[in-house]
This record gives sequence, structure tokens and C-alpha cells, in this order.
Amino acid sequence: MSTLAPPVRRTLALTKANARLLVRNRTTFLYALVMPLVPMVVVFASGSASDAAGANAVTSVLLMAVLFPVYYNVLSQVVTRRDELVLKRLRTGEVTDREIALSIALPGVAIALAVTVVTVPVSLAAGLPLPENPAVYLLGAVAASVVFAALAFWTAAWTRNAEAGQMTSVPVIVLAVAGTLIAAVPERVARVLEATPGGAMYELVRTGWYGAGGLGDAVEPLLVLAAWGAVAVALARRSMRWEPRV
Amino acid sequence: MTTTATTTTGPGSATALAIEVRGLRRRYGKGSSAYHAVRGVDLDVRAGAVTALLGTNGAGKTSTLEVIEGLASPSEGTVRVLGLDPVADRDAVRARMGVLLQRSGFPGDLTVREVLAMWHGTLRAPLPVDEVLDLVSLGERADVRVVSLSGGEQRRLDLGCTVMGDPEVVVLDEPTTGLDVERRRDVWDLVLRLRDRGRAVLFSTHHLEEVEELADHVAVMHDGQIARRGTLADIVEGHPSTIRFVTPLDATGSPVALPPLAGDVSSRGPHTTVRTHDVQAALHRLLVWADEHSVRLAELRAETASLESVFLEIAGRPTGATTTTTTSTSSNATEENR
Repeated sequence: MSTLAPPVRRTLALTKANARLLVRNRTTFLYALVMPLVPMVVVFASGSASDAAGANAVTSVLLMAVLFPVYYNVLSQVVTRRDELVLKRLRTGEVTDREIALSIALPGVAIALAVTVVTVPVSLAAGLPLPENPAVYLLGAVAASVVFAALAFWTAAWTRNAEAGQMTSVPVIVLAVAGTLIAAVPERVARVLEATPGGAMYELVRTGWYGAGGLGDAVEPLLVLAAWGAVAVALARRSMRWEPRV
Repeated sequence: MTTTATTTTGPGSATALAIEVRGLRRRYGKGSSAYHAVRGVDLDVRAGAVTALLGTNGAGKTSTLEVIEGLASPSEGTVRVLGLDPVADRDAVRARMGVLLQRSGFPGDLTVREVLAMWHGTLRAPLPVDEVLDLVSLGERADVRVVSLSGGEQRRLDLGCTVMGDPEVVVLDEPTTGLDVERRRDVWDLVLRLRDRGRAVLFSTHHLEEVEELADHVAVMHDGQIARRGTLADIVEGHPSTIRFVTPLDATGSPVALPPLAGDVSSRGPHTTVRTHDVQAALHRLLVWADEHSVRLAELRAETASLESVFLEIAGRPTGATTTTTTSTSSNATEENR
């Protein structure tokens, strides 16, 4: 008999199955693995050009890592499994809703965090410096993963089927890529973009990797991500549907 | 109006109430467009007994079961499972209840064994995976992916998950849907084994044969309400027997006047139907009259009351709309609809 606490044991049992499913679905798995690696080419191309260019390239890697393995993967899993009545079946057992949700998000989050770590040696090879505050960089990646997983559950709540996900995901994609524009827009616009999840990620990369502004500057983007996370979780909890619409 | 399905006799004479439903109502939608799927149901299910919720499609069976399963809240009324609220006390109830939904799924890319292993990891005191594979006769299909299973095999896998936690209360929504005859009997055996181990089993069905084979107690549901309840004998008791024959005609082609018979006499098409609580006396009088008047009663049939005749009456279908077998009490003999 397992010595793990029941919630941990249940979550791990489901996570293991979800990880297996992610690996077996080759298309999803390739997207989850390959898409975050594509921007690494940009890292090589622009790595040592300037701090802003380097931060932008690393931010792009992290964005792909939270968009594909986390956001899209969770969104498609929730919508598909809901349609197939898998979620409804799981809810008849001992697992709680929270454990089901966590088990769906964890495999993608694990990939995103692995990409976050792999980015360090790749960037080093591309001529970037080592991260000045690796804890801030990692914390930013974790926080962004949580935010985009929660946004995926919220998006799934009003996504009727897997096909509709191509359209319903657009607002979140906009929120994400906005961060990559910060260095290229006027100051006033940049201040607005910093309030988006993507903008907060860019600021955390600048602070975590290049030490820009010191640790104190990490507080604001972390608060931005925390606020987005809280809103996304609240929206997801309120609107989550576990069964297809009748 | 509410009606109570109480379980008091037979193999399920144990007194412990496993499920207690009082004044249950369930509405879909709001205002004048609301659909009332369940309209005041009381239901008791006891430990060590099998209770059937029998009804046509749309009778409200699944809507009732979903509230008992804790998947939906009642619009009105209360539900207690092992004395607990299945929604508010979800965690405590789920650990002691096994549920089989009418329709559900498992990820198609997992094998049978992997699905059971996943489910195993979520339960407090699960049966071993191999034991469950044997229970639902899926041992030889253990390494086949769910997507490659037949509908019946998927149903058995579903059932395996339902019983894996050795639950005290088992709720099965149309458990044999999609199963062939042999596998259906396997499921029946499993249900009876659960009962013999003191488990409370509540299942919904529209198969009369299943009710006759399994149920210690029956609640016949129609139009969101319990229309009849009790043991099979209770259900049939008080329901009239039926005598049926081709209406005899005189030389002019007009129907011959029948003797006075105790019961309701009606004609439908070429047939006359007599519904009576004293089938022996009515049949005797009819035969004596026919003999005295040299009348031939073609296609004469007499049928004691059966679950089917009761069910059809409740469902609003005339019992005369079925082909019957002489003095048969088996619903199996009355399958063909005209």
C-alpha cells in the first residue's frame, strides 16, 4: 500500500496516465517538445547582440514553453476528455476536481520547466551570460506555467469543442505575445504591456537573467502574474464545465 | 404528490438504509420553459438488496441517479447515501459508493490494464487489478487499448472500475447496455454476488427480464415520478389478468353479444380483450357460453398479470398492443409489438 497522502497518490496516478497519453499522442507531444525549441534558434541568432535582444529571445522560448506544452495541451485535453465523458467518469470516483485538473496540467508544466532549465546551457552556448538571479528566472517560469494552465481551464469552459479551440484561444495568445513587443513599442504602451502575462514574463527574464534593476524589480511582474493567476483560477472555478453542453 | 419505493421483504430484508431519497425534484432550465425531469420522488434502497429503477427512456431515471451519485444537486428534496449528503459530503460518500454511468468514457490510447491501474491508484482500498480483470472477464484483453475494445468490452471495463473499490453502495445506470446475452448474464451474476455480500445495489433499466432476474425490489418510474413500487409480487398484485380472442361475428357480420363477464371488456381491431381480477371464473363463463352457443373463440389467449403488462399500462401503452402467449407470466414471451 502506498505511503503517500491520498491526494498526492490520486494526483500522481492520474498524472502518470496523462503523461503516458501525452507521449502516445505523437502530434501533441511533438508540438509540446518542438515548439519551445524553435525560438532557441532566435537565441543563437541574436543572443549576444544586446541585453534587450537576448531577453526577448529567452522570453520567446518561455512563451512557447507555456503556450504549447501547457496552454494548448491543457485546453485540448480538457475539451476532448469532456466531450468523451472521461472527466465525468473520473468525477464519479474518489478523486477531487482539483486533483483531476492538477493531473491534466502537470505533464505539460513539467515539459515547460524542463525547457526553462535547458534554455540556460543553450543560451550559454549562444553567447548569452549566465542568469544573474536564477531563482527569479525559475520562479517566473513556474508562475507563468500556473497562469497559462489556469487560463486554459477558463478557455475550455467556453470552448464548445476541439475545433472551436482554435478561435477561443486567440485572446490568451494575444496576452502572451504582447510581452515580446515591449522592447519595440513606446514607453507608454510598454507600461500597459507590462501588465499582461507575456509582459510580466519579459520583465522577469530581464531581471532574472540580466539582473536589470535588481531583485526589487521582480516584485511587480511577479505580482502581475499572481493577479492573472488568481483571476484565471477564479474564472476557471466558476465557469468550468465537466460535461458536454446538452 | 410523492410516492415511496420501500424495500422490506425478500433477500434484501436487511434493514439498513443505504440510499434515502425524499421529495426529489430536478428541473432543467428556468421559468415557464423549465423541464421537470423528476417530480417528487421518494426512494429507499437497503443494504443487501438489489433495487431496480424501471422506466422508459425519458422517465427520469438518469436524472434521479445523477443526484444520488452527487453529480447534480436536487432542485428540491433531499438525498442521503449512507446517511450522508452526496454533494456536501462528496469525499466521504465517493469512497463508499461505486458508480456506473449510462454513458462515459476512458482515454482511448490507454490499455485496459493501464485504465484499471490508473483507477486503482485513486482508491483507498482497491481490489487488485488482476482480480478486477477476472471479475469482468477482460483478462485476455488487458493489453488492448480502449479505442480497440468493442462497446460491450468498454462497458465491462467501466463496470470493473465501478466495483474496484469494493463499495458498500453500487449505483448502475443501465449496466447491460451494449452487452451480448452471455456477458449480460455475467453482469447479473456480479450484481447478485454484490448483493450476497451485503452491498446495496440500485440499477436503472428498461429491460423487464433484467428486473425479473435481479431485483428484490422495483420502483417503476414514469414521467418523473414513481408510479409503482415494491417486490415483483407487490407490483403485479392487484393488476388484472387478460383474456383475449378474435371477436366472434354472426351471420350478418356483426359482433356477437358476449355474456356478462366480471371485468372490463373492450374491442380493438378484430380482437376483444377482457381485463379481470378473476381470470378463472371469467374464462370458465366465456367457454361455457361459447360451447352453449356454438361460438368459436379464435386465437383465445389468457394471460395472468405480468411485470410487462403493468409496465406497459404505466407507460401509457395498451397491453393489447402486444402479442401474448397462453397463460404466460414471462415477459420474454411478449416481445413482439404489433
